[in-house]
Amino acid sequence: MTQPALIHVVDDDASFRDSLLDLLQAVGFEVRGYASTGDFLLDATPDRPGCVLLDMRLPGPSGLDLQAALLRQERTIPIIFLTGHADVATGIRAMKAGAVDFLEKPVQRDALMEAIGRALERDAGERSARAERRRQQERLGVLTVREREVFALIVAGRLNKQIADDLSISLRTVKAYRAHLMEKLGVATAAELGRLAGELRDTTG
Amino acid sequence: MVLCLMLGTTTVFAEDVRRVLVIYSNGRLVGGNVDVEQGLSSTLVDAPNRRIQIYSEFLESEFADPSYEATVTTYLREKYARNRPDVIVAVARPSLGFVLRQRARLFPEVPVVHAAVFNFYLDSLRPLPAGVVGVPVEYDPAGTIEQALRWHPSAERLVMVVGTTSRDLEWERMLKAVTPRFENRVKIEYLSGMPSAAVLARVAALGRESIVFTPGYYQSGDAVRTTPRASAEAIARASGAPVYGFLSTFIGTGVVGGRSPHFVEMGVQAGQIVERLLDGASPASLQLASVMPNRLRVDLRQTRRWGIADRDIPDDAVVQFKEPTFWEAYRRIALSIACVILLQAALIGALLLERRRRRKAELAVQLQRSQVAHASRLAIAGELTASIAHEINQPLGAILASADAAEMILKAGGDRREDLTRIISRIRRDDLRASDVIRKLRALLAKHEPERERFDLGLMINDVAKLLEAEGHRREVALEVRPLQADAMVVGDPVQLQQVLINLILNAMEAVADMPPDRRSVVVDTARDGNSVSVSVRDRGQGIAADNLPKIFESFFSTKQKGMGLGLSIARTIVEAHGGRIQAENGLVHGAVFRIELPAVTTRSSSMVAA
Repeated sequence: MTQPALIHVVDDDASFRDSLLDLLQAVGFEVRGYASTGDFLLDATPDRPGCVLLDMRLPGPSGLDLQAALLRQERTIPIIFLTGHADVATGIRAMKAGAVDFLEKPVQRDALMEAIGRALERDAGERSARAERRRQQERLGVLTVREREVFALIVAGRLNKQIADDLSISLRTVKAYRAHLMEKLGVATAAELGRLAGELRDTTG
Repeated sequence: MVLCLMLGTTTVFAEDVRRVLVIYSNGRLVGGNVDVEQGLSSTLVDAPNRRIQIYSEFLESEFADPSYEATVTTYLREKYARNRPDVIVAVARPSLGFVLRQRARLFPEVPVVHAAVFNFYLDSLRPLPAGVVGVPVEYDPAGTIEQALRWHPSAERLVMVVGTTSRDLEWERMLKAVTPRFENRVKIEYLSGMPSAAVLARVAALGRESIVFTPGYYQSGDAVRTTPRASAEAIARASGAPVYGFLSTFIGTGVVGGRSPHFVEMGVQAGQIVERLLDGASPASLQLASVMPNRLRVDLRQTRRWGIADRDIPDDAVVQFKEPTFWEAYRRIALSIACVILLQAALIGALLLERRRRRKAELAVQLQRSQVAHASRLAIAGELTASIAHEINQPLGAILASADAAEMILKAGGDRREDLTRIISRIRRDDLRASDVIRKLRALLAKHEPERERFDLGLMINDVAKLLEAEGHRREVALEVRPLQADAMVVGDPVQLQQVLINLILNAMEAVADMPPDRRSVVVDTARDGNSVSVSVRDRGQGIAADNLPKIFESFFSTKQKGMGLGLSIARTIVEAHGGRIQAENGLVHGAVFRIELPAVTTRSSSMVAA
């Protein structure tokens, strides 16, 4: 079920905002416009693929402020900054904070579309990564507390004997837990278990 | 001791008074006597060790007869018994005759100096008694007539006017001894013993072919007493011919002139002899000139009147009544006036120069001011680059996006006229918006001559507010402009005043740059007060240090690291050039307030101008 991307445009200049919305609509995007960062934050944004075209200079909290706020809230929607006047310092700040691009108005359509394309790609990537992580988390969720402890140690690269020592249980008990969790996680071999552990370490790390 | 010395000194002086008794022949006011007295008194001056006392007596010789002489002698003897004269001066012949006749009774041991006595009379008295000395006078009627004939070569007649007293007759005899030598050149006519009216009628009938000569007379044929001078004056006034005569006193009466010694010189000569006698010289030892020198004396007014060229007057002549040339008459005044004029000219020159210099300087200052103002506007523009770019790129961005949108819509096909119409009108609006920004910037940045026009301060402030709104956003400073309720027309250069206001607002924004958010605000307030409009820019920053307040408007004063310190000084120059004033003060709580006051144009006069 691939949803059409929803592009958010945050700009206090109504004329510019409307123009951009018209353009994006004509290209086929779904769009929403906001006059301020506050409006954007107050809007119950549905969890849909998309990105934010964010004016740097806004009344009240600025574009950079919004970016910082979104990061704090772990909302990873990609941001493309648009600015009437690109000054290097602000650009660097924005990019360091994870902006997809930093474009100066008036924006060439190709450049804008290319940036939106990258933003949506990044959004899609983040979305799938997030889904995978969620799936992994869900799989781990079926393990008992003890099984999870054993799994964490396996992921950490400990041998069965060492795990038995760490947890003060017998080697045999360790082997039993191991067999249970491999069965629960749907892996057949020790090698498969090792790969899964690696994946989990990456996604959670 | 000191007192004794002083008394002693006084005594010495008391003993050293020398008395000179001057006996004049006739009245005090006879011209010759006055001149002789002047000569005498100017010569006989007090020396440190000797004081001279001059006594004057007037014989009124017309009363002369033996009993009168005896009475006068007794009178003088009695009068001067206690103050015996050291020298007697006898002025003119009657006096000398009297003194000589009465000498045995009148201080016989006292030396006598005669003055103004004719040589030919003295000849009759020689040898003079011991102790009687003097330099005789020898009038020169022949020389005088000679000179007159030289000046009037065409003269045919010489008219001699003489009187009837014994002295007059003596003159006549003297003259008659001289005139025969001219008989071959002119006809000689003597008017002697004639009533003065007849004399005057006769000389009045004369023309330029005649010359009149007179020694003057004491009494006319009709027994009217006069003086030589007065008679000469009457003759000269009536005469149709030039009148000559040799007494120095005649000069000024209308007589052309004559050869004679001057009575003042006679007085001086006598005085010099008196001095030497008082110094102890014996009368016999004195080496004296045989006769007083004669000099030609002329009245320049008369020589000119009778057509005698100035160059024909001998160089050694004593020229009197030289109608002073302008230079001679007003030399000092002329010099002063010339000085004043020169000084004034110099002053005027200096002032003109100064004015030119000042004008040049003013022009230079004006030019510089407009250049500096322009530079500072550029500096403002530099500061505003971000805002300006934003202001322009905003509509440009909108236009581009709109155009792209329209293109996409057209490509997609379908009937979306309404959308396209909406987009196109938005494009137009944004385009106008961009050009409006550019127009305002151009007005601000253009290098232009200062203008004077009537404009609405309120509108100007609104423009500034729009221009700086974005800058406020960029600096995260709240800019609040409280509009003016009443209209506020002022006369001046809107761009310059705009610049001042922008300057003040940017300064204010800078002042609150490091302030916490609640203090990052700038308020522009306008107020109308009577005949003036004031605009104040208030910030909530640190305020101005008290030390800096007085010099804040001075050139090159700046508290900013990079500031040129010209902004506020230019602001003040501009405001003052508009007849207004600008002041800075600290706010009541915090921050600074800059207030501009400008004279407002009344609505009434503006309507008059409009009409």
